[in-house]
Amino acid sequence: MVGSWPRPDWLLGELKRKNSGEIGYEEFSAKADRAVLLSLKNQEDAGLDIVTDGEQRRDSFYSFVADKVAGIKLLTVSELIDYVEEKAMYERILRTLDVPAFAIKSPVAVGEIRRKTSLAADELRFLRKHTTRRIKVPLPGPFMLTRASWVEPLSRDAYRTREELAQAYVKLLHEEIIQLRDAGASFVQLDEPTLTEVVYGDANQTTFMCAAIMSKVDPKEELTFATGLINDAVKGITGIKIGVHICRGNWSRNDGALLTGDYSPLLPYLQEMKVNQLVLEFSTERAGSLSVFDGAADGKEIGLGVVNPRSDRVETTEEIVAKAKEATKYFDPSRIYLNPDCGFATFAEVPLNAAETAQRKLSNMAKAAIELRREYA
Amino acid sequence: MQPTELNGLNLKKLGEIVELGTKHPELVGQQFNNWKARVKWLGGFRSRAYIRDHAFLIDEPADLAGVDTSPNAVEYVLAALGACYSVGFTLNATKRGVKVDAMEVALEGRLDNVLTFFGFSKEGHPGYKEIKAKLFVKTSASEKVVNEIWQETIATSPVGNTLTRNVTIIPQISVAK
Repeated sequence: MVGSWPRPDWLLGELKRKNSGEIGYEEFSAKADRAVLLSLKNQEDAGLDIVTDGEQRRDSFYSFVADKVAGIKLLTVSELIDYVEEKAMYERILRTLDVPAFAIKSPVAVGEIRRKTSLAADELRFLRKHTTRRIKVPLPGPFMLTRASWVEPLSRDAYRTREELAQAYVKLLHEEIIQLRDAGASFVQLDEPTLTEVVYGDANQTTFMCAAIMSKVDPKEELTFATGLINDAVKGITGIKIGVHICRGNWSRNDGALLTGDYSPLLPYLQEMKVNQLVLEFSTERAGSLSVFDGAADGKEIGLGVVNPRSDRVETTEEIVAKAKEATKYFDPSRIYLNPDCGFATFAEVPLNAAETAQRKLSNMAKAAIELRREYA
Repeated sequence: MQPTELNGLNLKKLGEIVELGTKHPELVGQQFNNWKARVKWLGGFRSRAYIRDHAFLIDEPADLAGVDTSPNAVEYVLAALGACYSVGFTLNATKRGVKVDAMEVALEGRLDNVLTFFGFSKEGHPGYKEIKAKLFVKTSASEKVVNEIWQETIATSPVGNTLTRNVTIIPQISVAK
């Protein structure tokens, strides 16, 4: 799994109550326990070796930090638009997506960033009680958090520059990863989907991938900045696998609304990242060819995206095996892990697939893994 | 205890208007039928409008030889229609006791033939041919009720009716030397 699993309708009802302030996080989280167990059962029944909690307690893969971090406030684009200069660009995006500004929320740094509580220790603690399988905990990466939450007029009271805010996230995530390692997580995945937006989000393709509210900057500078932040966040940490996940947007089944382009512009930066695994989309054709990794795997593992979370068609075991075999041309077979391209419900209220279909996709993925292990053992 | 406010509207004040309109419709007509504005030319394509104690700028985009300091007049028409729908929806929802959590109106207008404005064409006219207005509303009310409120809003919108019916414009001129 990359992270998220479709939430049951009743959980979405409880999430609405939480977001409207009717119930607090603790009460919501207690109710979400049952949904986590359902998500876990689906993953275990499918035969996964590494599981997540399906992000059932999160309203999205990154905005949940507003519940856990002091200094962060969840604001809608509607509330933010008065603070951004490029209002016309946001209007274009809203029209492309055909959504109102009040529907898109972003965590914004409005004060000094400080963990009120661990970002994900509660998720991990609960999952550990109910499974013996290895646990992956996805966390929003330092670049994505910075990019999404730096809104100068609102953030500058606490931080003079975006770089200062970024360093606060680096420190916060460094402490978080250590805490999760000590609490028994096998794998922490830093989600950095906006890296593709830096490269491929041109004027006509800019998206609210993560409600990132900021001006366009030089892509090379931005990628260097992002790589430095990731490396600082993981610096000196051992005893836990750390990965970086990159995708091209995962909020719509309309491929035209998502970004397109291969990994080659990102490759030099991916090579520089001091992480164990790159968790990458490869099921979608929009991600381009695996061959860009020819001679460039650099000893890293790949979390190979082999099923599309946004399609009804269930990829066959044969197709998945074939994709993995293609990856063996560029990666050592022992370093290839199979996963979906992205989560099945990155944003709680926009599930991309029915749980039943998602389960069948995972099941074929697990069957393919067995077949591949047999062949490459 | 009765709520005193819904959707940001003072229910007592709203009740008074409804009561006045029911008992003395002529007074409401006298007070709210007439509206005024004055527009001062600032040079180039820029103007400033004065309405009661308010003032705002009107300009043209740089592509049209303006300075782009503010929206142009046809854009204000879209905004006026959107605002009118917003006001109408709030009024009609509040009258029914429906709480609106969030609302936006996205508008997009297409002029029949802008070339006629520039004098490059005699075909068609320079006014709007079509305006799309999409309401985004967040409310716990049923879809049926929301649709009814929306239909009432469209039917009773002063700006909407201005645009869809023939309005008699009485042009006059006074030249100073």
